[in-house]
Amino acid sequence: MKFDTPATTNPIDQLKVIGKPTDRIDGPLKTTGTAPYAYERHDVVQNQAYGYMVGSAIAKGRIASIDVKAAKAAPGVLAIVTADNAGKLAKGSFNTAKLLGGPDIEHYHQAIAVVVAETFEQARTAANLVRIDYVPTKGVFELAAAKDSAKAPEANAFSGPPDTAAGDFAGAFAAAPVQLDAVYTTPDHAHVMMEPHASIAAWNGDKLTIWTSNQMIAWGVGDVAKTLGIPVENVRLDSPFIGGGFGGKLFVRSDALLAALGARAAGRPVKVALPRPLMINNTTHRPATIQRIRIGAARDGKITAIGHETWSGDLPGGGAELAANQTRLLYAGANRMTATRLAVLDLPEGNAMRAPGEAPGMMALEIAMDEMAEKLGLDPIEFRALNDTQVDPEHPERPFSQRQLVECMRIGAERFGWSKRNPKPGSVREGRWFVGTGVAAAFRNNLLTKSAARVRLDGRGTVTVETDMTDIGTGTYTIIGQTAAEMMGVPLEKVVVRLGDSSFPVSAGSGGQWGANNSTAGVYAACVKLREAVAQKLGFNSEEAVFADASVRAGNRSVPLAEAARDKEIIAEDAIEYGDLDKKYQQSTFGAHFVEVGVDVATAEVRLRRMLAVCAAGRILNPKSARSQVIGAMTMGAGAALMEELAVDKRLGFFVNHDLAGYEVPVHADIPHQDVIFLEETDPISSPMKAKGVGELGICGVGAAVANAIYNATGVRVRDYPITLDKLLTELPQTG
Amino acid sequence: MNAIRFRLNGARLEEGLIPPSTTVLDYIRDHLHLTGTKEGCAEGDCGACTVAILKPGSTRWEAVNSCIMLVPQLDGCAIRTVEGVSGRGPLHPVQKALAEGDGTQCGFCTPGFVMSLFAVHQNGEPTDTETIHDVLAGNLCRCTGYRPIVDACKAATAQSWVEIGDSAVEKGRTNYRRDGHYFIAPSDLPALIAALAENPGARLVGGATDLGLLAGHERQVLPALISTAHVAEMKAVEDTPHQIVIGGAATFADALPLLDEHFPAFGELVHRIGSRQIRSLGTFSGNLGTASPVGDTLPCLIALGAEVELASQAGSRTMKVEDFILGYRKTDLKPGEVIAQIRIPKLRDTESFAAYKISKRYDQDISIVLAAFRVTLGDRRPTDVVAAFGGMADRAKRARMLETELVEKGWTALDDAEDLLAADFTPLSDHRGSEKYRRIVAANLVRRMHLEVTASGVPLRLEVL
Ligand SMILES: Cc1cc2nc3c(=O)[nH]c(=O)nc-3n(C[C@H](O)[C@H](O)[C@H](O)COP(=O)(O)OP(=O)(O)OC[C@H]3O[C@@H](n4cnc5c(N)ncnc54)[C@H](O)[C@@H]3O)c2cc1C
Ligand code: FES
Ligand code: FES
Repeated sequence: MKFDTPATTNPIDQLKVIGKPTDRIDGPLKTTGTAPYAYERHDVVQNQAYGYMVGSAIAKGRIASIDVKAAKAAPGVLAIVTADNAGKLAKGSFNTAKLLGGPDIEHYHQAIAVVVAETFEQARTAANLVRIDYVPTKGVFELAAAKDSAKAPEANAFSGPPDTAAGDFAGAFAAAPVQLDAVYTTPDHAHVMMEPHASIAAWNGDKLTIWTSNQMIAWGVGDVAKTLGIPVENVRLDSPFIGGGFGGKLFVRSDALLAALGARAAGRPVKVALPRPLMINNTTHRPATIQRIRIGAARDGKITAIGHETWSGDLPGGGAELAANQTRLLYAGANRMTATRLAVLDLPEGNAMRAPGEAPGMMALEIAMDEMAEKLGLDPIEFRALNDTQVDPEHPERPFSQRQLVECMRIGAERFGWSKRNPKPGSVREGRWFVGTGVAAAFRNNLLTKSAARVRLDGRGTVTVETDMTDIGTGTYTIIGQTAAEMMGVPLEKVVVRLGDSSFPVSAGSGGQWGANNSTAGVYAACVKLREAVAQKLGFNSEEAVFADASVRAGNRSVPLAEAARDKEIIAEDAIEYGDLDKKYQQSTFGAHFVEVGVDVATAEVRLRRMLAVCAAGRILNPKSARSQVIGAMTMGAGAALMEELAVDKRLGFFVNHDLAGYEVPVHADIPHQDVIFLEETDPISSPMKAKGVGELGICGVGAAVANAIYNATGVRVRDYPITLDKLLTELPQTG
Repeated sequence: MNAIRFRLNGARLEEGLIPPSTTVLDYIRDHLHLTGTKEGCAEGDCGACTVAILKPGSTRWEAVNSCIMLVPQLDGCAIRTVEGVSGRGPLHPVQKALAEGDGTQCGFCTPGFVMSLFAVHQNGEPTDTETIHDVLAGNLCRCTGYRPIVDACKAATAQSWVEIGDSAVEKGRTNYRRDGHYFIAPSDLPALIAALAENPGARLVGGATDLGLLAGHERQVLPALISTAHVAEMKAVEDTPHQIVIGGAATFADALPLLDEHFPAFGELVHRIGSRQIRSLGTFSGNLGTASPVGDTLPCLIALGAEVELASQAGSRTMKVEDFILGYRKTDLKPGEVIAQIRIPKLRDTESFAAYKISKRYDQDISIVLAAFRVTLGDRRPTDVVAAFGGMADRAKRARMLETELVEKGWTALDDAEDLLAADFTPLSDHRGSEKYRRIVAANLVRRMHLEVTASGVPLRLEVL
């Protein structure tokens, strides 16, 4: 189905199932521990052996020699694969460093061998016996030091150009009576999803199956095939349950490749999980940024110039963190520029993490907006409202499909009690706490991408949906089930949803908050076809047929839906494909974050006290799971504001705190009362579902709202995340 | 008989084949294929591996981290994994509440949360905010943001209790040997001392919340272990006229009620050690035995003037905790000795005790700085001060200069707190906190202590949000 004109009224608008707060259909599987995750799929294939990864102990250089004799002779060992005997391997299109390194080493903990044995213990013990001599070479590990050598990265499908400009930024900024010119930094972040990367691989002749934990099945199939040099038809990936991803499982990682290579060498199925302490340096992370923001405004508060430059680093051939992109769209201003620069760093691979670009970009931009509001003597909400725009500021002929940023701010202000705020920093004290509130905008683009599905109707009236779409905790099973139920006029219990298998039609996959809208639109398209086939079979005019109450009806004739498939299952498959509506309109999601903090006067410990997010993100398909998505994202954003930071060993080039004890993420007690409000919105430009994404919107801007609240509480403006106790304590006002 | 005996999900089991330092998690997932229990970190940090146990002789369910618990520690216990909570029957109230309340997203953390909540629910504990806070501290979730889980937790209480007809197997005691490796768990002190004397190469183990990391996280083999867990004389926590006596095998959880009563600030701090899972197994002796510079109980025990009784074949000797800690992870424990008791003198009327733990996040976090003070107040000035700090040196240590000046100059010495501390400590900088932060915050904590001990009555308590 081609979607090239705005949606009109369609069966989804009935909202009998869609839009209702609905329990996750996979909830009981998860609470009983019966949902099968990759590493524990003992049943899928017999005789699984264990693979254990050996990771490089240097960040850059080469392996002079690798001695596997002792390891090979160890009890239970079945095979050892290194670059020497792995055969020719290519690099996946989505990988920056090779998944199996050697002799050249590109980063610390890059996989350089897999040891396969009968038991996990044996594999691990033998892995310790692999002797490696390295010749290290000097690497570059510090972004601040490499910044000046940074270059404009090549543009790709997601990035936009590295340099953008409209009007005369330099002139307008210089002439602006009120100016801000400030530098902000965000550190490297780790996804630390709860489930470590894991795969089981089995060869059947030249056909390879990998049971894995992956967000983007079709990308994965392509990259496994490319890396191994085998046809894509020979690769099957299966990933029905994923213990979190957040972008860390967008790409095939070493667990999958090592399992495949190990299985080939051992001649039997092999399973590999990345041990938690190897994960952080072996896989990808969100790269650190340095961002310079300049804003010039007239005294009335109108922005006349806005510029955002960002620097990040990655391995050679890698990509930049696109932290300036939202600044092209978020606020008005005739004169504007952004610049994105990329330095070469020899740290582990930088790549996408929840809301890549916008998450760190909004952490900086929205502090800058707070600082600017203060300089102008304006309330931060009024300042943002003054500079709202309903069109793409670089291309005023392109309107936003929907934009309710100001509404989000106003409604949030009312709900949060913003008017009671004392704007003077450091002026509210409750016992041992400085208390303050802060606000920030939330913004994330809505991306459209082709997505396909297959639907089957059987003789019992059960509708089965098959698509390679994944559910990484977002609630995809449920919204896809709701979509099919709405379209076919059956209760949700009559829908079976099967996901994550590459033998199913190719979907959008889970990433970039595009999954919900695109994958359900793909199911919509397939259901339209199924409705036509059913109508035809039952002798209805498909234009007139009404699908409701498990029946098909037109005029006064009504036939049970199951009747259509009594003799033979009916199967329909289709995809949603987009025209140029996303060129004609700018499609984005908006929100406002409100935060109240307390800061301990003597220790600078920060306690979040209240958080509120108001979101306008198209139709909310399942308010229950959407709310959870936003709350989870707010929590991750709070972590980024206050504690999350990969500490770089600048001498040896690795992340020091590479486990859950060292890389702190928020615990339950760190998170206070949180609330989420969704504004009524349907966006007919986005898809027949009229929905957009929410999962990443929730993280964009939270960090800045926390930072702004801390400033309001204490008068201390920290521009380097995370805002840890030591950055605050020395600056705190003296108290009695 | 050479086997570990326990009850798993209601069924009796005897295990005689596995190496003694196999973790419970590896055992249930890999050997028994009970894969509902998850591995998220293998170091006690995430709670995905949580299971519930009834210890021998106990009727109270306790959540523990199976990833750092060794299978022989199960001897005599009943254990429930997520598979044993509802079986094929209807969902347990906590499972139902989590499913219906959207307390699960990716679901990988969920079985761990189920088991933490299961223990609370089966024990009939109230699910007030404070308890929930306490219960969930050891379970990380990267997806839900916790609120839906908290709400589910409250919803579950409203539902009726499910009869789980378990009982611990029998008195725990094993002498488990396999391929030359062993795990001995004597049931009284003389047997323990004898075992130590006979096996000079063996390591003592309490709850294994430190040692278990070697097996779980580092995947080391621990060939020779002697457990204190079943030693009858060492389990008790007693309230005597002048002292609180903590047995050498008493867990944090065992001691909390008496600490809360007699040294509320200490109790509050112990509530923040690790998580319930850690406190169900972790012992005071283990905390002393590890002698970490950020071991949380150490500054408190030093400030309170606690002493340890060390037992061995040569008899027993008693020394101050302060003297027992010799340096970085170094104690005065001699071969063949065991900490049999820790004795904490009760406070006199003129004495106050304050303790503070500063960490980056509220729970489950290694301290940046820990401060503990015992102050005797005379006429508006301190007549005696013991101030001990963690995180400021290679070991938990007293701030002698500060103590002396506070007594000699009174509270005016507070103005010089930072300089006085500098004379005693040269803290390190690491990614948790800079040297400068540690110095300033330590001085501020001295000032906070002053406010607290001089403010009549109302202590400035650690706040639970
Ligand atoms: C996730 C996690 C969080 C933690 N959080 C904290 C925290 O917040 N604060 C903190 O201080 N610690 C914390 N710890 C560390 C640990 O829990 C404590 O040190 C605990 O007190 C150890 O007790 P145990 O009985 O488990 O020791 P074990 O691991 O059994 O033993 C530790 C050491 O003590 C010795 N030992 C044990 N018993 C005796 C005895 N009776 N006599 C002599 N020596 C003995 C052992 O030989 C060993 O060397 C944490 C650990 C984990 C895994
Ligand atoms: S696996 Fe993380 S606590 Fe055990
Ligand atoms: S639901 Fe994913 S970690 Fe908790």
